[in-house]
Amino acid sequence: MAKNADLLPGTLDMLILKAISLEQLHGYGVLLRIKQISGGALDIPQGSLYPALYRLEHQGLIAAEWGQSENNRRAKYYTLTAIGRRRLREETAGWNRLAIAMAAALNAAPQEV
Amino acid sequence: MVGRIRSLFRALTGRDDFEQGMGEELRSHIEQYTDDLIRSGVSPQEAARRARIEFGGLNTVQEECRQARGLRFFDELVRQSRYAARLLRKSPGFTITALFTLAICLGANLAIFAVIDSVLLRPLPFPNAGGLVTMFNTYPKAGVERDGSSITNYYERRGRIPAFDGVALYRLETAVVGEAGSTEREPVARVSPEFFPTLGVDLRMGRGFTEEETSVQTDGVVIVTDRYWREHFGADPHAIGKQIRRDGVPATVVGVLPAGFRFLSSQAELYFPYSSRPEQRMPSERHSGGNARQMIAHLRPGATLSQAQAQIDAQNATLERNDPQAKMMADAGFRTLVVPLHADHVASIRPVLLLLQAGSLTLLFIGAVNLINLMLIRANGRAKEMAVRQALGASQLHVVSEVIVETTMLTLAGGALGLAAGAAGIRFLTVFGADQLPLGREIAFDVRLAVVAFLGAGVLGIVLALPVAWFALRGHLANAIQSESRGGTASRAAQRLRHGFVVAQIALAFVLLCGAGLLGLSLERAMSVSPGFRPDHVLTGQVSLPWSAYPSWPVRLAFNENLLSEIARQPGVSEAGLVNNVPLSGNSGKSAATVKGHVLRPGESPRGHYSYGVDGDYFKAMGFSLREGRFLTAADSRRGERVCVVDEDFARYYWPDKSALGQHLFEGSAASKDSDAFTVVGVVGAVKQVGLTEEVAQGAVYYPYALRTDGSLFVVVRTVVPPESMGLTLQKLVRQIDPRLPMSDVRSMDARIGNSLIAQRSPALLTGLFSAIALLLTAIGTYGVLSYAVSLRRGEIGVRMALGALPRQIRGQFLALALRLLLAGTAIGIGGAWLAGRAMRSLLFHVPPTHLPILAGAAAAMALVSFAACLLPSHRAARISPMEGLSHR
Repeated sequence: MAKNADLLPGTLDMLILKAISLEQLHGYGVLLRIKQISGGALDIPQGSLYPALYRLEHQGLIAAEWGQSENNRRAKYYTLTAIGRRRLREETAGWNRLAIAMAAALNAAPQEV
Repeated sequence: MVGRIRSLFRALTGRDDFEQGMGEELRSHIEQYTDDLIRSGVSPQEAARRARIEFGGLNTVQEECRQARGLRFFDELVRQSRYAARLLRKSPGFTITALFTLAICLGANLAIFAVIDSVLLRPLPFPNAGGLVTMFNTYPKAGVERDGSSITNYYERRGRIPAFDGVALYRLETAVVGEAGSTEREPVARVSPEFFPTLGVDLRMGRGFTEEETSVQTDGVVIVTDRYWREHFGADPHAIGKQIRRDGVPATVVGVLPAGFRFLSSQAELYFPYSSRPEQRMPSERHSGGNARQMIAHLRPGATLSQAQAQIDAQNATLERNDPQAKMMADAGFRTLVVPLHADHVASIRPVLLLLQAGSLTLLFIGAVNLINLMLIRANGRAKEMAVRQALGASQLHVVSEVIVETTMLTLAGGALGLAAGAAGIRFLTVFGADQLPLGREIAFDVRLAVVAFLGAGVLGIVLALPVAWFALRGHLANAIQSESRGGTASRAAQRLRHGFVVAQIALAFVLLCGAGLLGLSLERAMSVSPGFRPDHVLTGQVSLPWSAYPSWPVRLAFNENLLSEIARQPGVSEAGLVNNVPLSGNSGKSAATVKGHVLRPGESPRGHYSYGVDGDYFKAMGFSLREGRFLTAADSRRGERVCVVDEDFARYYWPDKSALGQHLFEGSAASKDSDAFTVVGVVGAVKQVGLTEEVAQGAVYYPYALRTDGSLFVVVRTVVPPESMGLTLQKLVRQIDPRLPMSDVRSMDARIGNSLIAQRSPALLTGLFSAIALLLTAIGTYGVLSYAVSLRRGEIGVRMALGALPRQIRGQFLALALRLLLAGTAIGIGGAWLAGRAMRSLLFHVPPTHLPILAGAAAAMALVSFAACLLPSHRAARISPMEGLSHR
């Protein structure tokens, strides 16, 4: 098992949006999907998932709908709204810029200065 | 943002669904995780345990989810409200007192505010309300403050004053409307063609008046109100073209006004064109306004009142250059004033309404202070609980919000009760003549008022909470935990605050009491003014003889004679007379009279005098006193001899050192040929013409009825039986002579006098009522604070008793405390009463704004109330037994 990375503040929302953008998911599904797409590197504290989902729904970034789960349970499914999609795009771009800048900064060697 | 509010709203309205869904979602998460763990080989018990642990506290997660939805604030509010409701239920005495106080104080304010709102604040109900003005001619140096506008003024001004985009003339009058036998005397209006466009009012049907319809030959048209159309034409859509009989002459309906139209306070349902003859429009008629003709105008957008005034002044200056009477008019101080229509219409009543609102606000302050004190006492009882809770970690915000929730809940409930009280209050105010005020018929209890009530109640709740919250937060935790429980006396700051509030309450009640005293004394002084005639046993009523049926003076005089002889034959009648207008009827007009041989002193201008036409034994019937010479009688009217009677004010002004008898005067503002002169044959006592409080001795002239060109007619009958009992007889008599003639406004002179005093009586009675409530509230407040002071010091008093203090000393101590509060309150109150007296000076009649006996009386009343309020607590203190000092510890 790979070593777990700590979650940076603000990244949970981004991960949830990303997970839901791939496919409509229920809460537990979001958890599994994040674990899967991060290659098991990111483990989300289960209790903090739901307040985040409710907050995103309140902000209108995701929408919820009751449906049937794969094992015939009633489950609440989340989908991305148009605003959520736009937000995810912006945040991804912002994150990529930051990551590139951070990587460049941290990889700087003495002779490059 | 909108989305978030919608999401919060959905969560609030579907709160059960929200909670259930959340629970289900979280449970299913745990179950799925448990299943996954079992599938990975963990034993079922262990799996369930681990799933629950990894998920974390279910309650915490749920709380965080609710917070994410913005629900937490509401949850807290509901929780605190429940807690506050429980506390309030637990102390019903306090709650009922508080609610009752709030209901009375808020109700009084709301009722008065409803009147102020509809009379002063709300714009007039016309589309053009914003720029409407009225204009009137004034001749202040001749003693004529307002003389309306003349027909000439109207024709000279319309279209020529750039600041106006509409100028209209109107006249409110009465007319006999209907077919013979079912005629009614009804208020009607005559208006120039621009009248409705100037107001911005569009007809709902038909057309407005045309220029042709302003000539007397072609003015047989009428516009009716929506109400008249519904009542008399059954809302017939083809009513245009139907006919209405006015004074027996038919008029064709050409238009119907929109629903709800009412011009200011007028009750006119029929609008006729303002027709005139060419000679009435001549420059020589420019100054014959008379108060009946009024002018309105609408300011062009962008034009100001001062521009309009300047343009009117400039036009007057130009026109007066060619006026043969210019010098005289200038001497009389002639000017035309332009004033906003709404403000002008309600000017007379404004100070009274503001005074009453100030009075009711004072009452509200007193009530609020009372509540704060009661709540402080209650908070003191809970000081320990508060301190302990703060020590255990309750945040300051929590404590403050709890107090605010409690007081706001109380004031909102009080506000609801206050609304009910206010609704009743408005009905109560109509008893005091509120619907007779200008625009008084519009007084309504509506949504606006409810909004004001609840906003006011909400604000009041927060204001009331502040001192209590401050008290609850006053840092000294340890102190509070100890104080007022064992040994310690009331904390000083809290005690000082309570006493300060009692002082404020006494001061405010004192001011209110003084105000009521001043108004009451004014009323008494106004009532004791003699009207100059003997008003008892006099019945009066108005008959209008239409010119169409009674076109000449001989016919009209024949009617008079017939009527007088019929009345004289009635049992119970001692004297009867006729006059064109009775004193205090509210429509006394002044006109000029010129005394032969009177040379104007420098700076003196011709004076306006009240003038009357009399027939029969008017003077005897009304109970005038004769100073010199003789009264006019029916014989003078028949003979048509040019004689007249003047009153003593008139005689004193023109002939200060000789007898008025045999002197000559002319009707109008200029002397003419000697054959037109009237010879003075008698001098009568002066009477009050407009109201008992009038002070200017303007002088009056009484002419024989036939020689006054005025068609209106009042019957005046002195009876030996109670005058009201003759009313129906009189009306029947008139109908017997001519079935087309109604008799209206049938009232005894006593009733007219009473009615003329309504402007003094109502404010005096209302402020009296306010002060009575204020006294009661002050008594409750003083009692509450003193008895609390006693209860706090039971232990101390017990010890002192045990050590030999006499009950007398204990009682004296509390009486001294009450006395100190009373003195401080009264001292501040005297200052307030001085200010209040000056502010209400214009409403006082023969009473100085600072009146020592009233101050003394108010002080005595306050002393009595304070003494009564402290009697019981101090008596209770004096009866504390020494044992209590021991057991209390």
